[in-house]
Amino acid sequence: MRLFSSSLAALLIAGSGSAALGQTTAQRGPVPISGNVPALCTSGTNSSGSGNFDLGVLTNTGTGLLRNDLVAPPKILTGAFCSARSNITVSATPLLSVNNTASPGNGFSRTVNFTATATGWTTTAATFTTGAASNPAATQLRPTPFLGDITVSINGFSTGGGNGLRLVADPAYLGSVTVTLAVAS
Amino acid sequence: MRARLLLILAGLALPAAAYGQSNSAVSNFGVTGNVPGSCAVGAPQLAAGRQNNFLGLNGTTLQIDQLVNPATLSTNAASVEVRFEAVCTFPHRLKVETQNNGLWSTSERTGPAPEGFGNAIPYRADVTWDDTNLRLNADAGVRRIANNSVLVDGAGLGDLLLRLEIDAGATNERANAPLLAGTYGDTLRITLEPQ
Repeated sequence: MRLFSSSLAALLIAGSGSAALGQTTAQRGPVPISGNVPALCTSGTNSSGSGNFDLGVLTNTGTGLLRNDLVAPPKILTGAFCSARSNITVSATPLLSVNNTASPGNGFSRTVNFTATATGWTTTAATFTTGAASNPAATQLRPTPFLGDITVSINGFSTGGGNGLRLVADPAYLGSVTVTLAVAS
Repeated sequence: MRARLLLILAGLALPAAAYGQSNSAVSNFGVTGNVPGSCAVGAPQLAAGRQNNFLGLNGTTLQIDQLVNPATLSTNAASVEVRFEAVCTFPHRLKVETQNNGLWSTSERTGPAPEGFGNAIPYRADVTWDDTNLRLNADAGVRRIANNSVLVDGAGLGDLLLRLEIDAGATNERANAPLLAGTYGDTLRITLEPQ
């Protein structure tokens, strides 16, 4: 309690002193104020149900060949944004038989290739084809910050080794698609 | 000095970690499907040059040209080879089944044949499929369903070959016994069944 009283007294004395100096104006500043906004990207949220493209039965059971009418609904990434110029990159791995991993016999294959596409972010869609020797369109640059939706789809299915090959039976074929938003340097 | 060096390293690492978390974002999707075990057998086709005393193939019916040798009134030799395009995407069972266990008279007449006459003709069916051979002896001993099968441990693709052979003079009575007049027939089923 005694300590509190001493502090109050000191403030009052200082106040008196300041008024006495008011006639000769003094200024401090300007005081610089700075901040920064880091370059951020988020990929949004999948608003299209599960995170899987489920293709169901891959073959025509009458011939054993890959179906030519395979289709899966696209996935929508809602609310994706980058606060700086950015690259969108698509990569994918082919569908491979999960259980039957033995090297397939003559006339058979255990691989289904496809093309993954991401649209909505850049004028030219980012595409990646599994099994292709190169994928020059896999990364696309957006020169401005952006907020929007990205549509991810798969199509262009083909049998690894050629469409004349039959697919070995397996209750599970599994592949993947990865979409990456990254701040461009 | 060593302590100071450690502090400097830590100071550099922290901003880098914070930066790495914020400047890229990744979304992963799975792609799934399945391939059920299935087998398919195409339409039969005559194998060229492997046909003796057969008229040919009409749809799925094989017609024997001269079933009886007019000199002996017993069975003429006949053979034919039929090819089926086939595929199985799974380990499977190859099965051959005869409806009558031989070529039997298709007339309505029942009962045993008169003494010394034959009323059925034995034959052999040989199937070759994906390095597997299977024989069914339809011996015409008793009119019944008969079959033989083999497990094929793997997927298969290619031609399934069926060879039918009827020996000269073969009957269910004795060799070279005369055959009762009539129409003779049998139904053969070839099955590829996923296991």
